[in-house]
Amino acid sequence: MHVLMMTLYAAITATVLAAVETRAESTRDRVIHGLKIFGSFLGIGLLLSWVLYPIPW
Amino acid sequence: MQSRDQLTDDLAPSYTDRSIHSDIPRPVSTGIRAAAVVAAWLVPGAGHLVLGRIGRGALFFLVITGAFITGLAIQGRLYWPTVADPPSLLHYDLITVLWTFAQIGSGLCYLGSYVMGFGTTPHPEAATYEYGNTFTFLAGLLNYLVVLDAFDIGAGRKR
Repeated sequence: MHVLMMTLYAAITATVLAAVETRAESTRDRVIHGLKIFGSFLGIGLLLSWVLYPIPW
Repeated sequence: MQSRDQLTDDLAPSYTDRSIHSDIPRPVSTGIRAAAVVAAWLVPGAGHLVLGRIGRGALFFLVITGAFITGLAIQGRLYWPTVADPPSLLHYDLITVLWTFAQIGSGLCYLGSYVMGFGTTPHPEAATYEYGNTFTFLAGLLNYLVVLDAFDIGAGRKR
């Protein structure tokens, strides 16, 4: 459930942030930018969960 | 003395990097810009429709409205500022003010749902309660970005 929600959150955020991106010159640039944001959200989320997992509180 | 053609040939390379700026963004009138900003707040993506960005407007509508509906569907709650208990300097509970600010960014999605009573009863026992709240916050906050984007397009700062 948590990963599903995180993925959905990342997809929504990445879509909007890519669409309002100023520096993108073309749709292709926007898509690439959006994929980078999406990947960053998931990657950092998984990394943080891995780092925080041993902490018992 | 150079012939006209030779002169033209010599000058031409310095102009090759010039593009015809027919697609330079131009500011729209203040009235249309104001209408776009208000429309963008009330209905996600409507500001871009007012400015002729139909594709982007439709995308914003689908994504932001979808996020809000998803939030409510999974037991998210709509907030309204409550009086602090115990009393505080701000009178209102600050966190509920901030949550309301985040959610009210989605405009009519929030106002309509609140008036019709959707999401006004909290279900903290539901497993997805916090997820739902987060999605409704996300929808409102992203719509603030979209409103600013519509303003920038109207001002001629963006395409």
